[in-house]
Amino acid sequence: MKLYIILGLLSCVSLAHSYQETLVLVDNLNIKETHSQFFKSLQERGYTLTYKLADDANLVLSKYGEYLYKNLIIFSPTVVEFGGQIDTEAITKFIDDGGNLLVAGNSAASDVYREIATECGFEMDEESASVIDHFNFDSLDDGDHTRIVVSPKNLINAPTIVGTQNTKPLLFEGTGLILDKENALVLPLLTADSTAYSYNPKSQVKEYPHAVGRKTVLIAALQARNNARIVFSGSLFFFSDEAFNAPVTKVHGDKIKSDKSGNKDLATNLSEWAFGERGQIRVRRVHHHRQGDKESSDTYTITDTVVYRIEIEELKNGKWQSFEANDVQLEFVCIDPFIRTTLLKKPNGVYEAIFKVPDVWGVYKFKVNYDRIGYTRLYHSTQVSVRPLQHTQYERFIPSAYPYYVSAFSMMGGVFLFSIVFLYYKEDTPKSKSE
Amino acid sequence: MPTTAAAKPVNGHNQGIFHNTTGFSTLITVTVLTLAWLAGFASRLFAVIRFESIIHEFDPWFNYRSTAYMVEHGFYNFLNWFDERAWYPLGRIVGGTVYPGLMLTSGTIHWLLHALNIPIHIRDICVFLAPVFSGLTAIATYLLTSELWSRGAGLFAACFIAIVPGYSSRSVAGSYDNEGIAIFALQFTYYLWLKSVKSGSVFWSICTALSYFYMVSAWGGYVFIINLIPLHVFVLLIMGRFSQRLFVSYTVFYIIGLVFSMQIPFVGFQPIRTSEHMAASGVFALLMVVGALKYLHSLNPKGEWKQLLVLGTLVAAGAVFLAVVALTYMGVIAPWSGRFYSLWDTGYAKIHIPIIASVSEHQPTTWSSFFFDLHVLVCTFPVGLWYCIKNINDERVFVALYAISAVYFAGVMVRLMLTLTPVVCVLSGIAFSIILELVLREDDPTQAPVETEESKNLYDKAGKVKKRAPEPVQTQDQGLGLYARPGTVIAFMILLMLFSVHCTWATSNAYSSPSIVLASYGNDGSRRILDDFREAYGWLSQNTAEDARIMSWWDYGYQIAGMGNRTTLVDNNTWNNSHIALVGKAMASNESAAYEIMSMLDVDYVLVIFGGAIGYSGDDINKFIWMVRIAEGEHPKDIHEADYFTERGEYRIDAEGSKTMLNCLMYKLSYYRYDSGGSPPGYDRTRNAMPGNRGFKLTYLEESYTTEHWLVRIYRVKKRDEFNRPRVPISKRTISTSNSISKKTSKRRKGLLKNKPTVVKGKKMRLE
Repeated sequence: MKLYIILGLLSCVSLAHSYQETLVLVDNLNIKETHSQFFKSLQERGYTLTYKLADDANLVLSKYGEYLYKNLIIFSPTVVEFGGQIDTEAITKFIDDGGNLLVAGNSAASDVYREIATECGFEMDEESASVIDHFNFDSLDDGDHTRIVVSPKNLINAPTIVGTQNTKPLLFEGTGLILDKENALVLPLLTADSTAYSYNPKSQVKEYPHAVGRKTVLIAALQARNNARIVFSGSLFFFSDEAFNAPVTKVHGDKIKSDKSGNKDLATNLSEWAFGERGQIRVRRVHHHRQGDKESSDTYTITDTVVYRIEIEELKNGKWQSFEANDVQLEFVCIDPFIRTTLLKKPNGVYEAIFKVPDVWGVYKFKVNYDRIGYTRLYHSTQVSVRPLQHTQYERFIPSAYPYYVSAFSMMGGVFLFSIVFLYYKEDTPKSKSE
Repeated sequence: MPTTAAAKPVNGHNQGIFHNTTGFSTLITVTVLTLAWLAGFASRLFAVIRFESIIHEFDPWFNYRSTAYMVEHGFYNFLNWFDERAWYPLGRIVGGTVYPGLMLTSGTIHWLLHALNIPIHIRDICVFLAPVFSGLTAIATYLLTSELWSRGAGLFAACFIAIVPGYSSRSVAGSYDNEGIAIFALQFTYYLWLKSVKSGSVFWSICTALSYFYMVSAWGGYVFIINLIPLHVFVLLIMGRFSQRLFVSYTVFYIIGLVFSMQIPFVGFQPIRTSEHMAASGVFALLMVVGALKYLHSLNPKGEWKQLLVLGTLVAAGAVFLAVVALTYMGVIAPWSGRFYSLWDTGYAKIHIPIIASVSEHQPTTWSSFFFDLHVLVCTFPVGLWYCIKNINDERVFVALYAISAVYFAGVMVRLMLTLTPVVCVLSGIAFSIILELVLREDDPTQAPVETEESKNLYDKAGKVKKRAPEPVQTQDQGLGLYARPGTVIAFMILLMLFSVHCTWATSNAYSSPSIVLASYGNDGSRRILDDFREAYGWLSQNTAEDARIMSWWDYGYQIAGMGNRTTLVDNNTWNNSHIALVGKAMASNESAAYEIMSMLDVDYVLVIFGGAIGYSGDDINKFIWMVRIAEGEHPKDIHEADYFTERGEYRIDAEGSKTMLNCLMYKLSYYRYDSGGSPPGYDRTRNAMPGNRGFKLTYLEESYTTEHWLVRIYRVKKRDEFNRPRVPISKRTISTSNSISKKTSKRRKGLLKNKPTVVKGKKMRLE
C-alpha cells in the first residue's frame, strides 16, 4: 500500500517535472549569462532549464516516442544546422505533437530560422537584414538606427498574451518578420512603427524592402490548431539583461524617456503565455436534457424545450478554476445553425442555455466554438437527433373535427334507427293490395 | 423447367378430353398450378445456387434492413422509426416514407414460422419471399384469365407468368423488393375487380378494396390501379354500358379503397390532394350524376329523357373536369409530380429532373428488350387482345385498356415492363387457348358443341350481347385442313418449348446476378468471383468509428447502411434533390472546394466505385456526368456541364480530357495511385484510355482502403486539426532560402554554427 502511494507520488512529481521541462538551445553558453534575468524568471516559475549548444551531437527531443521536453527555447541565431536528431522536421513534429516553442533570432540568423518560421506561417527577413527606424531609435544606438524604441501601443490588444501593464517603451534590435495576410492563425504581437523598414543597414537601399512600416512585425505568435504555442521574436537582444535594464531615451519625436525598458515585463508575459501558464481553458462537463427531465437524452422531439449546460475551466496559477466570460455562444446546427444564442453565465463556470428545439427534424449538433485571441481554442460538439412526433403524440381530438365526429355518429345512429324501423315496421301491404 | 413445358400440352388436351369430368379438371388445374408454382420458384433460385443466399442490388438492402429492424423492435417502433443514419444530417422518417407492405408480409411470415417453432432467420425469408410470391401471382393470373376467358386460358397464363423473364427479372431469390409482392397484389386486385363488376356485389367490391389496400401498402404502382379502374368505368360509361352492378362495385370500391389507402402513412392525404388520384374521384362524381339521371329516367321512361341523359352526362363530365382544373390552379390539388409528368412527356425528366433521368431503369425501352423479356408472348398477345375486343364485354374492355396503357408505359420506361408482363401473359394465354381449342377440337367432332357450351358457361355470365361470339370461331375452324392441324400443334409446341428455354436462359444469365458479387469468366470458362463490394463494406464496418459518415454517390447509400452499418449522406431513396446535388457538387469540384462541402457535411470517409482495373462499366466515372448535371441543376453558378467535356464535346478521361474533369474530386479519387489494369500500368480498361492526370497527390484526403480489384476505393477526409500549422507554401514565399544539404552523417551528428570560436588547447577562449 505504502509502496503504491510512494509510486503514485513519484509519478505525480515526475509528471509535474516533465511538464516544466524545457530545453534551451544556445550558440554558446555565454548566453546563459547575458540573458540571465529571463532564464531566472523562468526558473523561479518552476521550469527546469536544460542548456545545450545548438550543434551538440547528442541533441534529442524525444526518446522512445516520449518527448523529454514540454517546451523548447531556441536562442541560437548563428546555427546553420542543429546537431543530433534535431532539425526543422523534428521541431515541426514537436509542435504538431503539442510542444511549445520560443524562438529568438537576430540579423545574423541563418536559413534554419527561416525554415522554422515558414513552417509556422510567417517569414523572417533575409540574412543580415535588420529593422531600421530613423525616427524611433534609442540614444544608445551605434549609428545604424537598428536599436529601435517601440511604443507599447504597437502591441496586439490581447491581455492574455502580453499582459495588462505594458506602459514602458520597448527596445528591439533584430530582424523583421513578414506575415501572410490570409493567415488567420498567426498573430502579430508587436509591430514596428510606420517609419520602420527592414533592410541591411550596411548597404544602400536598392530594392524595395520586404517589410515596411507597420507591416514589419517584430514579434509574432502562432497558436496551432492543436493549441501548441509558438512565439517568434526577431530579436534575441530583446530578451537580454542589457535590454531589460537599459534606460530608454528616444532621440527624435516626442520625448519618450524611461529609466527602464518594458522588455522584462513583456518577455515574462510572453513566456508565460507561450508555455501555457495563461490562457488555457477547457471543458469540464457538458450536460443537456429535456426541460423537466433529469436524465440526459440523445434524442429530442421537435419543439421540445432543451436545457444545455457546459462547464468551462481556466488554468490560473497552476490550478483549474472556473472560467468567467460573457460571450460564450451556443449553436444548434443541422448544416446551418438553427439557433445561435449566448450562453447565460451561472456560478462555478457553468454556462446555460434554455431553448426550444426547432420544428424541423434532423440530426443536430450542440456546438460551442469559443475562439478568442490568446485562449486555447474551445470546441465542443455533441450530436443529438431531433425526431418528429410519434404516432401517439399527435393531438387526438381537435376542435375543428367535431362536426365530422357528430356527422359520423349521427349517421351511425340514423342507420341503426332506420334498420330497426325497416325490420320491425309492418306496412299494411296486404290491405292496400286487397284494396 | 421441363415440368412446365410438359404441363402445357396436358392443359391443352384437358379442354378437349376431360371437359365433362369436373373433378378431373379441377385435379388438372390444381396440378398445373402447383407445377407452375414449383417451376417459377425453381427458376428463380439460380441466384442462390450460383452465388449464395444473399440480398441483391440496392433497394432490397434497405427493405431488408428495415424488415430486420421491424422484426427486432416491433411494428410500432418501426412505424415511428427515425433513421438518423440515413441522409445525414437530415435523417429520414422511415415509417412515414416507406410502403410497409413488404416488411409486414415477411414479418408476418417470420412471426408465423416462429410461432410454429421453426427458427428461420429473417434474411432467408426475405431472400425467398419473391419466388414464393411468384407462385401466388401465377394463381392470381389464373383467376383473372379464367374470369376473362376460360380456365384453359387461365392455366396457360399462369404458366407463362410463372417463368416469363419480364417478371422474374424483379423476383429472383434475393431480389427483395416491393415489386415482388406487388405484382401479385395487382393481379389479384384486378381479378376481384372483374369479379365485382360481373356480380355487382358489395362483398366482392369490398374484397377488391382490401386487396387494393394491400397493394397500396406494398408499392407506389398502386396509382396504376387507381387510374385504370376509373378509366375502365369511364370507358364503360361512354360505351353506354352503365349498369347497377358497375355503380355498386365502383362506388363501394372507391370509398372503401380511398379510406383504406389513406391509412398508409406514406400515402396520407395524397388520394384527395394530388392530380394522380383525381381521375378516380372525377369518375366517382360522374358516376353519381349518371346514376341520378338514370334513376330520373327510370321514373319516366317516356318523354325526352334520353337526350337529357346524354346532355346531362356531358355537362357533368365537363363540370367535374373544370372543377379539377380549377382546384389544381388554386393549389388545392397538387399538380402532377415530375415522375408522372415524365410518363407523358418523355423529354421532360431529362430537362427538368435529371435525377429521374439518371436512373437506368427510367430509360425508354428498346425493342430488343420487349422480345428479351417476353419472347414469343410479345407476338401472340395482340391475338388475345383482338379476340377480347372482338368478343367484347364489360371485363374485356378492362383487359383491353389494361393492355393498351401498359404497352404505352412499358415503352416509356424500362421499369414499367413489369406492369406490361402480366397482361401480356393473360392475353397470350387467351390466344394460345383459342388456337389450341381451334386445332384440337376437330379431333372429336361430336364433342365440339358440348365443349363450346361449357366454355360459354364460363365466361358468358355477364352479357347478353356475346351470344353471337362463339359462332364465328366455329365457322372459322371448319376451314382448317386435316394436315394443317398437327402441323400447327407441333409448331406451337416448339414455340412454347423455345419460350421456356429462353425464359430459363434469360433468368439464369441476365437476371440472377446479385450485383454486389460479380462473376467474371476466364478464357477456359473458369469462374472468378469478385467480392469487392462486400470486402469494402466489411472493411467499413470493422475499421471505422461507429458514427463515421460516409459520402458516396446515392446508388451505394443503401448498401453502405445495410452492409457497412454506417451513416450515409444520400441513398437510393432520392427524396431530397438538393442534398444529392450537394454531394454531386463535392464530387465535381476540385479538392479544396470539395473539402469545404465535405467539412460542412461532417464527412469522415469518401467511397468511390472504380471499374477501370477490371473493366466494370457501372462505375462512378461513367455515372459522373449525371452527378455534374444534378449538381448544375442546383448550383448553376459553380458547376457547368460543358466544363467536363472536351472542346469537341467528348467525355474523356485521357490527356485530352478537359482540365476541370482531370482535376475534380471524382477523377482524383478514382485514379489516385492507380497503376493496375493491364499492359501499360495505369491503363483504364473500362474507357480504354490512359488517364490524363497521373501521379498527383491528395491534400485533403488520404487513401484508407482499396479493394482487391480496385473496385471500391475508400478515402479518409482529413480533419482540420491535421492541418495544424499554416505553413507558408514555397510558391508564396517572398524570401528564398537556400536549400542546404545536411552535413550530418550517421556517425558525425554534430551540427554547425557560424563563426564558432575554435577551441585551441591551452589557449583561453575569448568570449564575445
